[in-house]
Amino acid sequence: MVPMLIVVSIIAFLFVHLTPGDPIRVLYGNEIDAETYQKLKEKEGFNDPLYLQYTRYVGKIVTQGDFGISYRTKSNVSDEILRRFSYTLFLTLASMVWAVVIGLIVGILSAVKRNSLLDRLGMVSAITALSIPEFWFGLMLMQIFAVQLGWFPTSGSGTISHLILPSLTLGLGVAAIIARFTRSSILEVLREDYVRTARAKGQNQWVIVLTHVLRSALIPVVTMTGLQFGFLLGGAVVVEQVFAWPGLGSYLIDSILTRDYPVIQALILLFSVQFLVVNLLVDISYGLLNPQIRYE
Amino acid sequence: MKKNRRLVTGLSCMLVVGMLAACSAPAEQAKPSTNTAGTSNTTAPANSPATAATQPEKKAVDKTITLAVEAEPVSLDPQNVTDGNSITVQRSMYEGLLTFTDNMQPVPVLATEYQLNANATEITFTLREGVTFHDGSPFNAEVVKANLDFVLDEKNGMARRSFFSFIKEVVVKDPTHVTIIANAPNSTMISYLAHPAASMKSLEVLKKKKADPTFNLDRNPVGTGPYQFVEWKENQHVKVTPFANYWNKEQAAKAESIVYKPVVEASTRINMLKAGETDIITKLPTLNAKEIAEDKNFNVYKAPSLNVYYVGMNLKLKKYQDKKVRQAMNYAVNKDELIGGVLDGYGTVADSAIAPNTYGYSQQKVYEYNPDQAKKMLEEAGLKDGFEATLWTRNSSEFIAIAENVAMQLGKVGIKAKVQAYESGTLFNMLDHEKGTDLWIGRWSPGTGEVDYGIRPNFHTKSFAPDNNNSGFYSNTQVDKLLDEAIMTANKDEAMKKYAEVQKIIYDDAPWVFLHVPDLIVAKTISVNGVMVLPSDTVIVNTAEKQ
Repeated sequence: MVPMLIVVSIIAFLFVHLTPGDPIRVLYGNEIDAETYQKLKEKEGFNDPLYLQYTRYVGKIVTQGDFGISYRTKSNVSDEILRRFSYTLFLTLASMVWAVVIGLIVGILSAVKRNSLLDRLGMVSAITALSIPEFWFGLMLMQIFAVQLGWFPTSGSGTISHLILPSLTLGLGVAAIIARFTRSSILEVLREDYVRTARAKGQNQWVIVLTHVLRSALIPVVTMTGLQFGFLLGGAVVVEQVFAWPGLGSYLIDSILTRDYPVIQALILLFSVQFLVVNLLVDISYGLLNPQIRYE
Repeated sequence: MKKNRRLVTGLSCMLVVGMLAACSAPAEQAKPSTNTAGTSNTTAPANSPATAATQPEKKAVDKTITLAVEAEPVSLDPQNVTDGNSITVQRSMYEGLLTFTDNMQPVPVLATEYQLNANATEITFTLREGVTFHDGSPFNAEVVKANLDFVLDEKNGMARRSFFSFIKEVVVKDPTHVTIIANAPNSTMISYLAHPAASMKSLEVLKKKKADPTFNLDRNPVGTGPYQFVEWKENQHVKVTPFANYWNKEQAAKAESIVYKPVVEASTRINMLKAGETDIITKLPTLNAKEIAEDKNFNVYKAPSLNVYYVGMNLKLKKYQDKKVRQAMNYAVNKDELIGGVLDGYGTVADSAIAPNTYGYSQQKVYEYNPDQAKKMLEEAGLKDGFEATLWTRNSSEFIAIAENVAMQLGKVGIKAKVQAYESGTLFNMLDHEKGTDLWIGRWSPGTGEVDYGIRPNFHTKSFAPDNNNSGFYSNTQVDKLLDEAIMTANKDEAMKKYAEVQKIIYDDAPWVFLHVPDLIVAKTISVNGVMVLPSDTVIVNTAEKQ
């Protein structure tokens, strides 16, 4: 993990510094004259060689947990990220609950009742859910449940009811992926010898599916769910915009548009760490699902 | 097993039904939403669960006026923002020496009167007495000087520094008299000082900033306005409540509090209005304006903005050097069709180089759509078969739509314009450094809301790109002379006469194809009164009231 992080931090650092756009202009406005410009550039350390800027940057992170000061808001980057992170985390967790519950139920039932009308319906719904743009789906949910029925607030944050529509919007696409993965994975396992043996001894089909099949069938599903979780943690730009959700996605976009380097760097690092952690958790969960998988 | 089957059927049905319902939803949009507004009111005070049950509490919540604005404010320091949205959020907390009326005329607020000297180099203000800031500190001449000195100091890195660069010195005569001395004669400085950027902050916060550089002025607004700052929750809201010691009892705050919520997505703002979660929404898309206007629960406010859209032309190119060609192009474009097609009718034809609500505007006779006249004039100019051109535009959907419409219309008289879209930063760079400038779609809005800022940067010979916005290199000695005279003329009427003359010459010279002035569209619920919208794109709710 550590070498990975070093590589990522170098890439994040370089990427941001090599893109066009001048942070001095962003920081101090367009109107400063050439002389002041040079003075400020020196003061901010942009004249130093890149490797020096990099070591200074990493040094501060490692020793003080300091990601620098946001160019745009002039406040501490780690504070700003922390404040938004909880929102993104809650939204992601809630979406994953929708995704896993809906996805697993539809997937398992479709597999067990393969080729039935139910299966077809489930899979058509899954494809539809996958193809609907989040933007449109979110607005439609809002139109029905917030404007027409008045069950939930249209947008904003603060209570559980604020969380429902955005998380459903976000979770549905993932639910569709999980449903399809679960279905095909179960179908594969159903063909295994040990399943046939279990059937031969007269075991109830649901017991077979839920105890024997699901355990091994879930492994690819868990991998995929983990990946999706990692993606969602990176902030859901569209959903956050539509529902005015104060998470990391809109923050990243704002920061990119204003070339707020310290924030962009910190977010890239954060997203990478999240991904690595989620993947580690996924790997560990394999062992729980199937004790035969061991890590040497 | 049966049970399970039912469950699945149920689930799948839910999915499908949900989608179908979603598909049919747009058709139902027009339904009167009186009912839903009622239901959602009970869900609104969700932050305090206890209030849900009790009736009287609901009334208290109702007195809060909520605005859904299009973005989070950049800062709450008036000297550190340049966007209209931030100004809208700041407006209830701050006041300046002067302010603008709804046709951008400067009128006194914290000053009681002002006097420009004979050669327009100095302006002296008599200040209002008995005005206190939200922190209890008094307003006086020292405060004015401290504020302007602070923004002018390069070290402070204020976004509005260059805006005030006309100031040479601020001199305190006595606690109620202050004189602002300009670098050069400048009769327009009155408008600069009426701009929200010239709002006054408390001397105490400026002192705090000097003592402690980490003190954040962006987040600690202290002004003299009818409302005072309560909190700014990142990406959620800015909240203000009435200021008890506000000097102007007649204009005192009438709402319990005002909440500004940033909601980037326009459709969400509209849904919030329909669900009763907000009282006022800014930047209503023209597409939705008609639908909202027809709903009797809402009012749609529309008024011409200060923005003028135009087709710029590079007068260095031979094809545009004949005035007849330029006028022909003005005749060739049907402005009404453009406004109908691109803006759903929410705009007016640009009948001067500046918008109607600009201070100092003088109406000109519009080039009425006349393709035959256009063709005739092109023929007279020796361009019977028209010519080819490149039409640059920014890559936003609005600009591209305008460019395509204009190109199509020019095509009808034989001018084959090819539309090329660029990211705005790239486009400005290309225009500044004349990297193949031919035709381009431009937009200009005078920051001060007065005529000089509308004309000088675009048409004065000294404003040639890259120094300023005259990227078409229009040069007319008479225009230059009149502009230079007008800015030195302290007598307002005389100055305005010269500016009117300038507008006449420019409209006749036609260095632009004058297109349109888009409307500002703001919607509100009928229960809120006293909302004012300035052409400068500022929504003012200082005296708004909710019934």
